[in-house]
Amino acid sequence: MIQSGQDTLPQAFFLPADPGYRFCLFHTPQGTKPKSRVLYLHPFAEEMHASRRVVAQQCRSLAAEGHAVLQIDLLGCGDSSGDFGDATWATWVHDTLLCLHWLHEHTDQVPTWLWGLRAGALLACDATKAWHAQHPTEQLNLLLWQPVASGQQQLQQFLRLHAAAQWLGRSAMGEPPAQQLAAGQNAHVAGYSLSPTLASELEAARLDLPSGNGRVGIIDLSVSSPPTLSPWLQRQEGKWQSAGWQVEAQTVEAHSFWQNVVESSLPKTLDWATRRALM
Amino acid sequence: MNHLPDVLRVLDDALQLQGRSTAFTANTPLLGALPELDSMAVLAVVSGLEAHFGIAFSDDQLSGASFATVGSLCELVTESLDGTAT
Repeated sequence: MIQSGQDTLPQAFFLPADPGYRFCLFHTPQGTKPKSRVLYLHPFAEEMHASRRVVAQQCRSLAAEGHAVLQIDLLGCGDSSGDFGDATWATWVHDTLLCLHWLHEHTDQVPTWLWGLRAGALLACDATKAWHAQHPTEQLNLLLWQPVASGQQQLQQFLRLHAAAQWLGRSAMGEPPAQQLAAGQNAHVAGYSLSPTLASELEAARLDLPSGNGRVGIIDLSVSSPPTLSPWLQRQEGKWQSAGWQVEAQTVEAHSFWQNVVESSLPKTLDWATRRALM
Repeated sequence: MNHLPDVLRVLDDALQLQGRSTAFTANTPLLGALPELDSMAVLAVVSGLEAHFGIAFSDDQLSGASFATVGSLCELVTESLDGTAT
């Protein structure tokens, strides 16, 4: 799957999965032999849509530099089968493994990267555990863009959207989402239906990796000038190094494009740091 | 301590104001006055403040009143930092 030429459009296809199909985009690497194969894992709920343009630009930039990049819409997200309320974390881990197998079948044997944004970074960690359990000799590498500290924090931020809508004077819709979940019902937040299963799985998700010897690239975005690495990520870096991973953290001054649906473009600094991480 | 410059920096980033926040004062109204302030943006401000100041708001601390003006947001930060210090 190698092509040459400028700005090749990605190939769109539906990957058979369980249940249904997943919408995928494959960005064909330019050049004769790909430098790496990369699976991108999108962030949670509305952040996926807010970050779509920046991510598409990064995928094209990586493909132009010779990386094979696969994007998936996870179960219940984007153009894939199911509603958000059907999604579970376990299915998303399974979707990730499915895509890794697809990349192994359709691309050359080159280093494999899981690239996750925000909760996508959490998913990348859990998928790495599952992949290494099945394929102990095939190491994965991880590229983590602005990882969330924990699934618990991501869940809290998502549930706060309900409260935020009330502060804006929108009519309160039903019980608070935490109460709906506690009662075993799906919570309805900002147009998304969240199942108690996904909520509890997300809450339990940690940014932990099993021992391994692959590479981990962390890219921390900050509005501070000069940008500084968050203290918790510094601790994380040390922890993963002790577990055998080769960790390189970079900080980039860039705005929080995943939280804002105002049209965002890929910051040049972020593109540069990302291409450097995969070098 | 005056947190106004830092709060404005976070606001500018979260709402993509492209530097418009430089004209803001403590009395500048936010909720209902800034079209950029939808629920995602409110959340971006909350998360931005938490990350910038290294604090964690409890859900009880947050209400619409905190987003009334730039000054009320600064008070929210001060309260939270004081709470952390004690």
